[in-house]
Amino acid sequence: MERPIRLLLLDDEPIVGKRLAPALAKIGVETESFTDPEEALQQVARKDFDIVVTDFRMDKMDGLEVLKRVLQKNPRTKVIIITGYATLEIARQALTIGAFDFIAKPFNPNDLRTIVIKAARALGYQVNEKPVDSSSAHGDSETEL
Amino acid sequence: MPVVTLSSDPLLGREIAVKAATALGYDCVDREILKAVADRYDVPETDLHKALDESPSPFGISSNHHARYLAYIEEATLAVLLKDNVVCRGLAAHLYVRGVSHVLKIRILPDPQKLAGEISSGKTSSFEKVSTLLKRRERFRRRWSLDAYRVDETDPSVYDMVISLTRIDPDEAVKTIVETTGYRKFKPMTYSLKCLKDKALASRVRVALIDQFPDARVEADGSSVVVQTKALEREKQKRTEVIKKLAGEFPEVAAVEVQILPDIFRKAAESFR
Repeated sequence: MERPIRLLLLDDEPIVGKRLAPALAKIGVETESFTDPEEALQQVARKDFDIVVTDFRMDKMDGLEVLKRVLQKNPRTKVIIITGYATLEIARQALTIGAFDFIAKPFNPNDLRTIVIKAARALGYQVNEKPVDSSSAHGDSETEL
Repeated sequence: MPVVTLSSDPLLGREIAVKAATALGYDCVDREILKAVADRYDVPETDLHKALDESPSPFGISSNHHARYLAYIEEATLAVLLKDNVVCRGLAAHLYVRGVSHVLKIRILPDPQKLAGEISSGKTSSFEKVSTLLKRRERFRRRWSLDAYRVDETDPSVYDMVISLTRIDPDEAVKTIVETTGYRKFKPMTYSLKCLKDKALASRVRVALIDQFPDARVEADGSSVVVQTKALEREKQKRTEVIKKLAGEFPEVAAVEVQILPDIFRKAAESFR
């Protein structure tokens, strides 16, 4: 049996990890959430992740630096940048370095889920898009992050 | 795949656009779409061309018509660009598709020597005369683009790449364009596709408002739309209601914010009556 998709989520706002992890669990993604970039990179050094989702603007390190270091460790990892400060320049820079995708906040957890599915498929995973229950306890599919 | 916009003197660029589109396997979109725009909005096609080539004037096209025709063209062009795999030329797209990272904006500068031959078509036309003509055209385009979109289209910083045909042959230009579209930075991504979709939605809402609110500026962010227009204090409520109703008719629009700015000129005119 195929192992679950391993995803590391890094955002200095704890609410992001709290809200996205259950949304991603619904499509069989095993998520580890971090708020500190250094701790996240230590975990990346210890373990192979298929997908890394990182915020762009964080106090200790920006998302582009995280992107570079993750790809140095494993060029196969798909890195998705999320940011509330999206600009054409940052978006182009992220893609040039090797980001898989770039999404501006606020976004709906469903939007991220769609990108994660795309990334997982690019890695060869078979992912079935399950219908999302908008009345779930977390209400994650409706509220923007 | 990226979208390519090509800006150049009207006499130039078509050949490069067609060749680049062929090499990339893209569609080449230019002023041929104006026929369909004219039919759709029941306006003369020649007026749409005029709107792209002339500034509003008391003896030519009026300001309101100019704004309306450009809004129609913008709406139609953005709908085409959303389909992707397009080289777009002659529709001023570089002025209203700014900030979208998968749109590669290119400016082609003419070679005055070669252009002299094309313009004169057999008659004598000196290099100096053509240079003067080109400078005059450039001054005009600068004014036109600032009037229409508040952007100076002669400013190189508007573009990702400026190619001078004095130094680069048209075939080399095509090769460079094709190669540049392969750069990762011009790949469509969720963010850039959303930016383009937002612009397309805003342009559709603007077309819906333009008859009643020719000065309306519209921005969209997902399903939220912000409309800015000028009005007198007493007109505020009525205008807000009308705008909300018209913009709310689009199924993609969930929220409409109307920002009414004071119309100081009309207010001043009224106070003198």
